[in-house]
Amino acid sequence: MGSLYSEQHTWLHAVPASVKLACLALLGTGLFLTDQLHTLLVTCVCCIAILISLGKAAANTKPFLIGLAFACGLIAGFHLYMQHPTLAAITVLRLVSTSLMGVMLTLTTRYSDLLHVFERLLSPLTYMGISSKQLALQLALMMRFTEHFFVLWRRLDDAHRLRTGKSGGFKILAPLTIQMLVAAHRVADALHLRLRR
Amino acid sequence: MHNSSRSIALISLFAALIAVFGLIPKIDLPLGVPITLQTLGVMLAGCLLGPQRALQALALFLAAVALGLPLLSGGRGGLGVFFAPASGYLMGWPIGAFITGWVMAMLPTTSPRSAAISAFIASAVGGLLVVHMLGVVGLVHIANLSWEQALMGTLVFVPGDLIKCALCATVVHTVARGLPDWRFGG
Repeated sequence: MGSLYSEQHTWLHAVPASVKLACLALLGTGLFLTDQLHTLLVTCVCCIAILISLGKAAANTKPFLIGLAFACGLIAGFHLYMQHPTLAAITVLRLVSTSLMGVMLTLTTRYSDLLHVFERLLSPLTYMGISSKQLALQLALMMRFTEHFFVLWRRLDDAHRLRTGKSGGFKILAPLTIQMLVAAHRVADALHLRLRR
Repeated sequence: MHNSSRSIALISLFAALIAVFGLIPKIDLPLGVPITLQTLGVMLAGCLLGPQRALQALALFLAAVALGLPLLSGGRGGLGVFFAPASGYLMGWPIGAFITGWVMAMLPTTSPRSAAISAFIASAVGGLLVVHMLGVVGLVHIANLSWEQALMGTLVFVPGDLIKCALCATVVHTVARGLPDWRFGG
């Protein structure tokens, strides 16, 4: 399973994941607390400038940006229709800034680095008996089985197509779920042997 | 089989199932409203796993999305999606799954027929009502829409979600017949 991370190295890749995450958390919260149009405008322009500075690495974000533009257009349309142009500007600027910050973090930070930061953030939970290592194990299992089940879905669809000449669609949902639940039993057995719990 | 290993396996595999539902192409309704299967995953998780495991499966799925994996339908992912207008719906998934599981655990599941009816009711309450309620809250706070506008916006998706409730009930019916020992609602 590929991440949205861009292998094309940019200056933002060099900034530690924890710093980027802290900036996102602080700026994101700050943007929701302020209603000052000029502050939001400056932040939004800065976010767009930073995204442009990433060059070709930002090319992957095109589908997301199109979706964002569509959502912004819709929201601005609603507010303009209700005669609230300032509210339209505030909402769209806030939305664009926070979304772009999130996109840039994902684009320039490896999945493993983010996971490491999350593990460190969750480490205090070990005192409450919750293991942050379990999160890593569950994520690994999930990614492994996403591909496995997608292959299974296609196999069931092909079998249905051979029998009926049509795509399986929703009809193969039930057999897929049953096969998944059976697989869960097998995986749980294997985990029990490996983890001894 | 020990409970902890079973929980880890079920939570991870259900999170994987929801991710797979995101890879399956969406179906467009005549009005241009897309039906994606991921909210069906929320309903199924609640009905089949019970409240706590369903909550954890959805939390795990959203953590993977936050880490940048393109698991949402249309290949979306990353932290940016949590700031988008529809983020209320996303945040509603774990809570919706929890409520679905909780309602399912309260309803009778003694026969495949009763399990299917219970699943329809539970998924309508948790997967439809709760998720849309939180989606509306998100639209009001993030998109600054009025409550009326947000409600009108979300109503368009209700027919598609009712179809998903029926699909969830069908899957639960099949599981009740195929795996008679399965404990619905956890």
